[in-house]
Amino acid sequence: MGALLGFSRAMDRINTSMGVVAYWLVLLAVVTSAGNAVVRYAFSYSSNAWLEVQWYFFAGIVMLGAAPTLLRNEHVRVDLVFGNLSERKRLWVDVFGLVLFLLPAMGLMAWMTWPFFLDSFQRMEESSNAGGLIRWPVKLILPVGFVLIWLQGLSELIKRVALLRGIRPDAEVVTEYHRPDQ
Amino acid sequence: MVTLEMMPPLMFGGLVIFLLIGFPVAFSLAAVGLFFGFFSIELGFFTTAYLGNLPFRVFGIMSNELLLSIPFFTLMGAVLERCGLAEDLLEGTGQLFGKIPGGLAVAVVLVGAVLGAITGTVAASVIAMGMISLPVMLRYGYDMRIATGVIAASGTIAQLIPPSLVLILLGDQLGKSVGDMYAGAIGPSLLQISLFLLFIAGVAILQPHRVPPLPPEALGPRGWPLYWRVIKGMVPSIVLIFLVLGTIFLGLATPTEAGAMGACGAILLAAINRRLTWPLMRQAMENTMRLTAMVIFILVGSTVFSLVFQGVDGGIWIEHMLSHLPGGQTGFLIFVNIFVFFLAFFLDFFEIVFIVVPLLGPVAAKLDINLVWFGVLLCVNLQTSFMHPPFGFALFYLRGVAPKTVLTRDIYWGAIPWLCLQLVLVAIVILWPESVTYWLDKGTGVDPGSVVIDVPMPDMNDEAAPLIFK
Amino acid sequence: QTAPEIRWRLASSFPRSLDTIYGAGEHVAKRVAALTDNRFQIRAFPAGELVPGLQVADAVQNGTVECAHTASYYFVGKDPTFAFDGAVPFGMNMRQTNAWLQQGGGRDVLKEFFATYNMVSIPAGNTGAQMGGWFRKEIKTVKDLEGLKFRVGGFAGNVLQKLGVVPQQIAGGDIYPALEKGTIDAAEWIGPYDDEKLGFNRVAPFYYYPGWWEGCLNLSMFINKAKYEELPQLYKEALESACRDATIETMAKYDVQNPPALRRLIAGGAQLRPFPRDVMQASYKAAFELYDETAAKNETFKKVYAHWKAFRDEQYGWFRVAEYSFDQFVYAMYGQEAQARR
Ligand code: NA
Ligand code: NA
Repeated sequence: MGALLGFSRAMDRINTSMGVVAYWLVLLAVVTSAGNAVVRYAFSYSSNAWLEVQWYFFAGIVMLGAAPTLLRNEHVRVDLVFGNLSERKRLWVDVFGLVLFLLPAMGLMAWMTWPFFLDSFQRMEESSNAGGLIRWPVKLILPVGFVLIWLQGLSELIKRVALLRGIRPDAEVVTEYHRPDQ
Repeated sequence: MVTLEMMPPLMFGGLVIFLLIGFPVAFSLAAVGLFFGFFSIELGFFTTAYLGNLPFRVFGIMSNELLLSIPFFTLMGAVLERCGLAEDLLEGTGQLFGKIPGGLAVAVVLVGAVLGAITGTVAASVIAMGMISLPVMLRYGYDMRIATGVIAASGTIAQLIPPSLVLILLGDQLGKSVGDMYAGAIGPSLLQISLFLLFIAGVAILQPHRVPPLPPEALGPRGWPLYWRVIKGMVPSIVLIFLVLGTIFLGLATPTEAGAMGACGAILLAAINRRLTWPLMRQAMENTMRLTAMVIFILVGSTVFSLVFQGVDGGIWIEHMLSHLPGGQTGFLIFVNIFVFFLAFFLDFFEIVFIVVPLLGPVAAKLDINLVWFGVLLCVNLQTSFMHPPFGFALFYLRGVAPKTVLTRDIYWGAIPWLCLQLVLVAIVILWPESVTYWLDKGTGVDPGSVVIDVPMPDMNDEAAPLIFK
Repeated sequence: QTAPEIRWRLASSFPRSLDTIYGAGEHVAKRVAALTDNRFQIRAFPAGELVPGLQVADAVQNGTVECAHTASYYFVGKDPTFAFDGAVPFGMNMRQTNAWLQQGGGRDVLKEFFATYNMVSIPAGNTGAQMGGWFRKEIKTVKDLEGLKFRVGGFAGNVLQKLGVVPQQIAGGDIYPALEKGTIDAAEWIGPYDDEKLGFNRVAPFYYYPGWWEGCLNLSMFINKAKYEELPQLYKEALESACRDATIETMAKYDVQNPPALRRLIAGGAQLRPFPRDVMQASYKAAFELYDETAAKNETFKKVYAHWKAFRDEQYGWFRVAEYSFDQFVYAMYGQEAQARR
C-alpha cells in the first residue's frame, strides 16, 4: 500500500501543476480573444492563426483541467441518493465508479485518440483555413489529457481503498462533495 | 432476446440508473454509452469499428469556438462576484426606491436585470445580490420568504436577458444564429421583469407588512446627493454593459469575443477599485478552469452516449415517439415543456441542453415550429431549473451566502411563487408567439414576383472582337 | 449466388437544413436500395450525428463509417491536392469538371492519391457556379480589398490573402451578428437557394458574383477502400450509377431553385454587384501563382495540377467556339428584351 500511496502522491502533484497550466490558459484565452477583437477593429488586421489558437487554449483548459478537477472532487454528480449516504458508502460508490466507469472509459479514449494524433503528425496536417495553424499539437492534447485523467482516477482509487482499509493516506483526498458554481 | 427496437428505451433506463448511483455525470454517461456499446457489438447492431468515431466527436467538441463563451463568462462572473461592483449599484438603487413599500424588492429586480445584461451566467448575480441585499431586507423587516425569493428569481433573469450562455448554447444546438436568439429573448425578458414588478406591487398593496418601506432614519439624504450616488454606482455597470453588448453593437467584437471583453473589463474595474489581488485572480482563474473542464467533460461523456444511441437507431425511435404525440404542434409543445420542467428537477440546464435538445430540435423543425421561438421558450422554461426546490442552483447559491437565521425551508417556500411566475411566462410565450417573433426581422414586403433579374453582361466590348482560329 | 444483405452508414458533412446537398447523399442511398432490391442499404446521417462535418474524411479513412458525402476541399489542410476533387479558384464549370472527372482521366489521376487515405472517391452531386458572397460595402477596385475582413474558407482565402484580404474563419453562430454590426465585412456561402436561409441580405446587402473560387463545386462520396472492394460487382455498379444520378439530380434542383430564390433575395433588399474586372484579374493571377508555388512544394499536387490544367486549356479552346458564342448571343438577346419590358 505504501508504494501505491507514493504513486498517488506523485500523481496528485503532477496533476496539480497541470491545473496551474490550465488556469493560466484561461487568462491566455481571454486576453487572446479580446486582443483579436481590438486589433481587428483598430488595425483591420487579424489572422486565422490567432482565431484558432483560442480554441487550442480551450482544448488545453479542458484536457489538462479535467484531472485536477477530479482531484478536487468537482465533477458534477446527481446527488439525489449520493447526498444522503454515509461517508463509507460514498467511498464505495467512488471505488465502484472509478473501477467500472472512469478507468475503462478514459483508458479507451486515450487508446483511441493516440492514432488520431499520430496520423495528423505523420502527415503534418495543417488547418484548411488560410494562415491557420498546424494541427497535431491540439490533437496531441487529447491522448495526453485522457492519460492524465486515467492516472488521476487510479490515484483517487488508491486513496479511497486506503481509507476503506482504515489507512489515513497523507495525500490530499477530497471526499466532500459540493455542487460546483455555474 | 433483445432486438434493435428495444435498445433506445433500454439505454434511457440505463442512463437513469447509472446517473442515480451518484458517480460524476461525465464518466457515468461515458460508461452507459460503452456498456450498451459493447452489448450492441455482441448482438451485432454495429461493429467495434463504429466506436472508433469517438475521437472525431471529441475533437469536434474541442474545436467548437462557441463553447469559448463558457470560460469567458465564468471568469467575468467570478471576478465580479468578488470585487464589490454590484454592492454600490444596489445601495444607491435601494435608497432611491426605499421610501415606498416593496421598494427594496423593486431595486433587487432592477439590479438583477442590469447584472443580467452584463453577465451570461446566473451564479454571479445571485451570489452578489444575496450577500448585499439579503441582510438589508431582513434588517428592515422584510418577510423572509419574499426576500429570498426575489433575490433568487432576479438572479435567474441573467439567463434570459442577452448576453446569455444558455441562449448561445441553445442557438448552437438548434442551428439558429445567436443574433436571432438574442433578439427573440428581448420580449420575454421584458415580460418577466414586468411580471416580477407586478407581483411585488400586488404584495405591497395586499400585504404591505411583508414588504415595509425603509424607516426614515435609514434613508440617506434625498435629492441630488442621492441621484449622484446612484449615477456613480451605475458607472461600472454601464462600462461593463458597454464592453459586452456595446462592443458587439459597434462591430468591435463577435458575441464570443464580447465575453472575453467583459472578462477583461471586470478585471480592470476590480483593479481600478483597488480590489484586484493575486489570490482573487488566482481563485477566479482556477474556478473558471474547473467549471469549464467539468462542463465540457459532460459533453465528452454524452458524446459517447449519443454515438451509441445513434448506432441503435435511437434518433428514429425518438422522432417516431415525439411526432406521434396527439395534438400536433400544441400537443408537442405542451408535452415538451412539461417534460423539460420535470427533467429540470434532477438535471441542470447544461445536461438538458446537450442531451435533450438535440433530440427535440429535429422534431420541432418537422412540425414547422419556429426554432427561435422554440429555443427562447426552452430558455424560459429552463430558468425554472434554477428555482426548483430542492435542487435549483440559484437556491444553492443563496443558501451558501444567506445567514444562519434564514432557514432552508424559507428559501424553498420563498422560491415557489416566483417559480409560478416563470411558468406563467412559459404559458404566455406558448400562447403568444409574437412576444418572441415581434423582435425578429420582418423583411421588406416587396413582391418577389415583380423582380426581373437582369444584370449587365461582363465587359461585352472585350468579347465583341472576332475570335481568330489558326 | 444470391446477393448478400449489406448495411452501411453514410456520414454527411452537411446539415439536414441544406436539403439540396444533404439530399444528394440521401438520394444516393435511396437509388442504391432501389437498384439492389433493398439488399444494399445505406443510411445517411447529417453532420454531427455520427461525426462532425469536417471529420468525415478521418472516419472513412479509418473505416469507422463506411462512406461519407462531403466536399473534398474541406481537407486541403491534409493535402492541397484534395481541392481538385472539389473546386479550385478559377477552375472549370460543372460540365467541364464532370467531363474531366468522368471521362477526361481526372478520377484515374486522383485514384492513387485517395488510396493513400484508404479511400475511393466518386463524384456525387454538384452546386454549379456559386455566388461571391455578401458584402457590407461595395468593392469598386482591387484597393478596396485591402483589410477587408471576409469569412471565406480554403484556397479562396489563400488567394484573397495575397490581395490584402483578411480571411476570418469565425465561429458559425457568430457570423450573422458579426456581419450585421460590421465586425466582419463580408461572408460567402453557396448560392441564392442556400444563402436565403441565412438571411444575410438583411445585414450585408451587396451580393457579389461570380463566386470565382467555385465555378462549380463537385461533391464527393468518400468510401473506405477495403469496404468498397468487399462489395459484389452489382453493388459497386449500383453505387456508381446512384452517384452519377445524384450529380444530375442536385444540379437540376439548384437550377430550378436558384432563380426564384434570387428573386426573393432581391425583393428582400439584396443588391447584385459583379466583382470589378481588376479584382477578377488580380485574383486570377494570384490563384495561378499560388498553384505554381504549391506545385513546387508538393509532388502529388504538381502531377494532378498538370493533368487538370492541360484538360482545362483544351476545354476552354472548344467551349469558346459553340457553347460560349451561343450563350453570349442568347443572354444578350434576353437582356435587350428585359430592358424593353421595363
Ligand atoms: Na444575461
Ligand atoms: Na462558396
